[in-house]
Amino acid sequence: MSNQKEEKVIRKSTWDVGEVSFPLGEAFRISIENIKKRFARAAITSASVMLGIAFLVSLLLMASFQTVSGQTSGTEPYMYWLLFISLLVCGVGITNSMLIAVAERYKEIGTYKTLGALDRHVLELFLLEAIVIGTIGGLVGYFGGLIAAMIYAATNSSIGIGKAVTALGLPNPTIPLVGMLPSAVALFILGIGLAIILSLAATIYPAYYAAKLNPAEALRYEI
Amino acid sequence: MKSNWGDYMSLRYEYTVETEDLAKYYKLGSFVVKALDGINLKIRRGEYVSIMGPSGSGKTTLFNMIGGLDRPTRGKVYIDEVDISKLDAYELAWLRARKIGYIFQTFNLIPVLTALENVMLPMIFAGVRREERIRKARELLTLVGLGDRLHHKPAELSGGQQQRVAIARALANDPAIVLADEPTANLDLHTGLEIINLLRKMNKERGVTIVTATHDLKMIDVSDRIIYLRDGRVERIETRAEVAVEAEME
Ligand SMILES: Nc1ncnc2c1ncn2[C@@H]1O[C@H](COP(=O)(O)OP(=O)(O)O)[C@@H](O)[C@H]1O
Ligand SMILES: [Mg+2]
Repeated sequence: MSNQKEEKVIRKSTWDVGEVSFPLGEAFRISIENIKKRFARAAITSASVMLGIAFLVSLLLMASFQTVSGQTSGTEPYMYWLLFISLLVCGVGITNSMLIAVAERYKEIGTYKTLGALDRHVLELFLLEAIVIGTIGGLVGYFGGLIAAMIYAATNSSIGIGKAVTALGLPNPTIPLVGMLPSAVALFILGIGLAIILSLAATIYPAYYAAKLNPAEALRYEI
Repeated sequence: MKSNWGDYMSLRYEYTVETEDLAKYYKLGSFVVKALDGINLKIRRGEYVSIMGPSGSGKTTLFNMIGGLDRPTRGKVYIDEVDISKLDAYELAWLRARKIGYIFQTFNLIPVLTALENVMLPMIFAGVRREERIRKARELLTLVGLGDRLHHKPAELSGGQQQRVAIARALANDPAIVLADEPTANLDLHTGLEIINLLRKMNKERGVTIVTATHDLKMIDVSDRIIYLRDGRVERIETRAEVAVEAEME
């Protein structure tokens, strides 16, 4: 009897467990479809990123404009605090909407697992979604901030469009990390980069939670 | 070479599923629900088995254990003679992708994917080449009578059609066993019967072992064996011959 049992365990080697895979291209395509399906909420999440980045870009640009027109010495320390707090608020918003996105997909996550998905494949789906949402939010936010700053320059008699355009081409050393690049480029990189990091950071906990769900539990949810 | 390895290996195993003193308890506060309590089953390769039992008798829990979706409190499950409690996360994922096909009461198709893409999904996880995936998915959807609905999304299909897609998806990687949990419960009488006949046809023609949980009496006619479950225990087991005899005596 015990002999027979041992035999069964040993037989595992005859199974010759093969590959389990989820190519990035497939995951990306499914993420895009998921965003399209829940377009309204993805747009709101994206808008939250957008507002944060627009605030960052416009604030730093206005500081650059004022420096060029000799009004102030550039970015004040309190501004960094303001930026930090605004991005934090924005991050909490994204986390919340991602938690909802995970909750309404419990059953779907369970289904993926029955088809052979590993935890990291589920994680991948949600993180890719976060990257897309972050990128879109960052892009729109950058241009929104740029336009807002230009309107500010145009309506401020001591700056004007001319000086503002000059400032866009000049480096602003007070911009963190990429201060040596022309302001317009530096803020583009910083804005999109921060948007993606922010969106990813806010999604990690919900996505990790989704990935760890036990398939039997996940399938029990009725929505 | 046709890499149909699942079939090839299964030929050597007499029993696709075996359980030994299988039990699953849930703790609800100080109260223990014995969802399964000492189940011993042997299911032969190619059998069509129905698990009958009232709601709450433990059918879904039994499926979760056999399907490698949850861990038992006690006892063992062998699939093709491998003790699945010994498998790690990667091996379990492979088991779910390759060895087992799942069919649910609520169909559980991925809503953003078309019928064809839904059937291709398990083949993606199993690492099947793209051209082969498309070929196989088309073939299976045609087989279940949906050759003209390949590019429809689940929301554009009726319940019966969605369940056909789910059957095609369950068969995608030529599993050793298909587990169907109340596959007809959300369908009308006529559509339910069609689905039952389709499952039976797949069982006959493709030799796939099928285990369905149900309280649908239509299922009795097509089953080789009926296992009656009550309060997490096997109440009795009827084979087809006995069922036929009983019917004659009435
Ligand atoms: N995750 C769980 N937590 C607590 N109790 C559960 C859970 N899953 C199932 N049960 C209980 O176990 C019993 C069997 O449930 P289930 O297997 O779903 O039955 P069936 O599928 O036959 O209707 C029921 O009493 C149910 O309430
Ligand atoms: Mg059930």
